[in-house]
Amino acid sequence: MHILPWFWPAAIVLITWGVVGLLQKVSTNYLSAESALIWTVVGYFVLLPWLLPSVSIFSYSHRSLAWAILSALLNAVGAWALLAAMESGGKASIVVPLTALYPLVMVLASPLILHESISLLQGVGVLSALIAVVLLSTETASEA
Amino acid sequence: MALAEALTAKWFWYSILCVLCWGGWTLFGKLGSANIPAETMQFLFPFGCLPVVLVFLIRSRCKLEKSAKGIFCGISMGVLAGIGGLALFAAYRTGGSTPVITAATAAYPMITVILAMFLLRERLNWRQWAGLGFAAISFVIFSL
Repeated sequence: MHILPWFWPAAIVLITWGVVGLLQKVSTNYLSAESALIWTVVGYFVLLPWLLPSVSIFSYSHRSLAWAILSALLNAVGAWALLAAMESGGKASIVVPLTALYPLVMVLASPLILHESISLLQGVGVLSALIAVVLLSTETASEA
Repeated sequence: MALAEALTAKWFWYSILCVLCWGGWTLFGKLGSANIPAETMQFLFPFGCLPVVLVFLIRSRCKLEKSAKGIFCGISMGVLAGIGGLALFAAYRTGGSTPVITAATAAYPMITVILAMFLLRERLNWRQWAGLGFAAISFVIFSL
């Protein structure tokens, strides 16, 4: 069986972020959402010694560095917006599945910005994954 | 009625902002990782999150909950999310289809609900079972 090169990195993402999802559930017993986000970023810093670049980061183009920083900033702003949606009266049972649709942005933007298109079969797979994410995110319905 | 109400509600637009930000996070992450190694992308990540963390710290006047369990959960989330982020950038660098990788990795709630079922003894509702089914379909398609 041919295993695609991205399979194993993607499997690591699924497992680690899946455990993060579980820890998020547990952490709400002890921390506010804001505190959890702050300590999560502390956790990112804990990893830094293992990620020290072998070459100066300034050897990369300014544009690439800007994209890297912007990517992280948008991730954090997105987390803030999710919390703000909840604080503004949004029910978790609606807000969480709605925000889980973020891969749709990539699906729509890819042909325009990355000049990548997907096959019909891959499109069915993406649609199926999106439906799965929305359905799986409804777990908070009883908690909302 | 419900749609009109949602369109005028703050939480809805915060949710849309979240979707756009997280869409941008994956898009710019892909663009950055085209030239920057995955380790360096993840090295830069916490620095990009700092502005939002600072806003939270100022808003809370640096008063964070002092629960040791909560802090442990928070830092663990950061370490695991960081490892997952590193793997996501590595997956993007394999040259695989970006929308497919993004959608496949966004299905991580699948792992969360399975872990919650075994570790927290949570019962899955029918939507979550259906979600697991759709996730399985998408992974079969992606592996073809």
